[in-house]
Amino acid sequence: MEIHLRPGPHPHVGSNAVGRYFLLSSLCLLALSAAGCASHSSHTEDARAALDQGNPQKALGHLNEQLGVDPETADLPDKVEPNHQLFVLDRSLVLQWLDDLPNSSRDLETADKGIEILDFSRSTTDDISKFMFSDDSGPYQAPPYEKLMINTMNMMNYLVQHNLNGARIEARRFEVMQKFIADHEDQGKALSGPGSYLAGFIFEKSGRSDEALLYYDEALNFADYRSLHEPIRRLAGKSSNRANIKAVLEAGGPAPKDDGSAELLVIVNYGRVPAKIARRVPIGVALTLAAGDISPTDQAKANELAGQGLVTWVNFPTLDKPRGNWGTPQFWLDGRPEHLEAILNVDTAAVQEWESVQGIVVGSAITRMITRIVAGQVAKKASGGGALGTLLSLGTQATMTATDTPDTRSWSTLPARIAFGRVRVPAGEHRIRLQARGRMKEQTISLEKNSWGVVLLTVLR
Amino acid sequence: MALLISKRLIALCLSACLITACAGGTRAVRGEDEPGLDQAAMSTKLDRRDLQKALRENMEFMQNSAVVQRWRTENRPAVAVLPMRNETSEHIDGALQALITDVETYLVNWGAVRVISMESQQALMSQIRQQLQNDGFDQSKVASWGRQIGAQYWVDGKVFSTDERVGDQRRVQYYMFIRVLAVETGEILFQNQVAITKAIVRD
Repeated sequence: MEIHLRPGPHPHVGSNAVGRYFLLSSLCLLALSAAGCASHSSHTEDARAALDQGNPQKALGHLNEQLGVDPETADLPDKVEPNHQLFVLDRSLVLQWLDDLPNSSRDLETADKGIEILDFSRSTTDDISKFMFSDDSGPYQAPPYEKLMINTMNMMNYLVQHNLNGARIEARRFEVMQKFIADHEDQGKALSGPGSYLAGFIFEKSGRSDEALLYYDEALNFADYRSLHEPIRRLAGKSSNRANIKAVLEAGGPAPKDDGSAELLVIVNYGRVPAKIARRVPIGVALTLAAGDISPTDQAKANELAGQGLVTWVNFPTLDKPRGNWGTPQFWLDGRPEHLEAILNVDTAAVQEWESVQGIVVGSAITRMITRIVAGQVAKKASGGGALGTLLSLGTQATMTATDTPDTRSWSTLPARIAFGRVRVPAGEHRIRLQARGRMKEQTISLEKNSWGVVLLTVLR
Repeated sequence: MALLISKRLIALCLSACLITACAGGTRAVRGEDEPGLDQAAMSTKLDRRDLQKALRENMEFMQNSAVVQRWRTENRPAVAVLPMRNETSEHIDGALQALITDVETYLVNWGAVRVISMESQQALMSQIRQQLQNDGFDQSKVASWGRQIGAQYWVDGKVFSTDERVGDQRRVQYYMFIRVLAVETGEILFQNQVAITKAIVRD
């Protein structure tokens, strides 16, 4: 049945007025919902700006506002909403910068569970919805490097607090996640230098040499960490079946002395990974970026719409610049400069992960854009064209545009770089000074014979 | 008409979406007012129900074991309960510490032993906890603590886990061990294990 809207008095006028009212109401509701659908990065912008200024306390306040808790505290809300798990993750490392390690651990543990549940709850409908309606539809799925960093950062927290029990729990959780990633995603993505290094350190200090060597061997798969050579020679004795351990033993080096000395590990987390931000690019550029990930039909349709001037820009997420990745951290022990070893470029891992999915993300953004325009054209045609048809077409496109938010969700407070310094020191008091990104930490640590200590500096700017 | 209906439908759908998005809220409830509140598993962590079940089964085995018969012939020897070690992939230390009192309650109520409470010896307890958590079980140190507090037997325990994640499911299999040791010799006089499985599964 074809409907023709006529001006003037008509038995259907009342109904049409109601219809227009509903339509207007819908548009108003959409405008409201669009206002509430700001992308994740816009919610964390203030916190990131505060971190850039070197003000973690202010960043904490901004993240607390997002979580709906007192800005001055580190409280958790009674119930952490699924879309707030990333704020909790972001806050955990701000708390680490502030040396509030117990609350940092609590946040990491809360988010660890929350992110896992989100991972489990993702459905096919979410994937279709992501492809058809909005980039950030459905629960957040953390990339492998983020999943592994949750337990890695928490191992650091527990080690600084000298809590080997808590650290071992995190090491075990790290191993479960590593195995899952190796089995389900990619063996290469399951490798984590700092995670395996720290797990090895934890089990070494727990007196479990075999487990320690297992993790050290894994860490050496990631990179040839020179600071592991001495501990490996000390733990492994003369031979080993593990290839990396064997290589270290065969390379030789001074035999470790059992002189009752203590061991000091310093960790410097500095800079910040590139945050995901929303970006508008011309359709031509977008088509080039997605060349390998978009169907020829969609490519032709997009070109056709671009030719008609119906499409000019495409909205999709991209990576901002990393912060502080060129900084050089420094470590002094009792006034002498000591070597810091680069353990992981987290920013590089973030960029690699993004580059591996970028084409698909841009491709689906183009597909959604085509869907919007085609749906608008269908709505216009179905209404018989005219003013209402145009309004309906615009409304349909506006609806779909408003709900299509670039997925800028990511753990944006991860450090860009991680460096370790590992030295054996005589028992007694030692002065440690760490410096990174214009911030300095001075600490005196007292170590007994054959004991160990860990000092951490996190500067996320 | 059809157009009007479709417009109403769109509006209703939009309203429904917004209402759904804004709906919800939290409230405080009392366990006794919410049937089944204590029954539901909230995560893969061990909860009170799991821990009490595992402990009850272990203690029932202990009650019928040879070591309790031996205690009955020894005129109520002194027994102390050590902190339970957490060897799992979950942060359940708080819940495990709470079990010390539960174990003491079982022992006291059996009437076969004198229970030396470690609560009044906080400094020693802290040292013991530190040793067990960080460096593991060292018989020479354990014997010296026993002598220090006058205990002839220790009751201790540990919880292990096998944690696996496959696809969109996670399963944690827990094993709670309880054992009785002679303080002087370190001889294990009783040992039992109870298994509990927790999982997150997809409906």
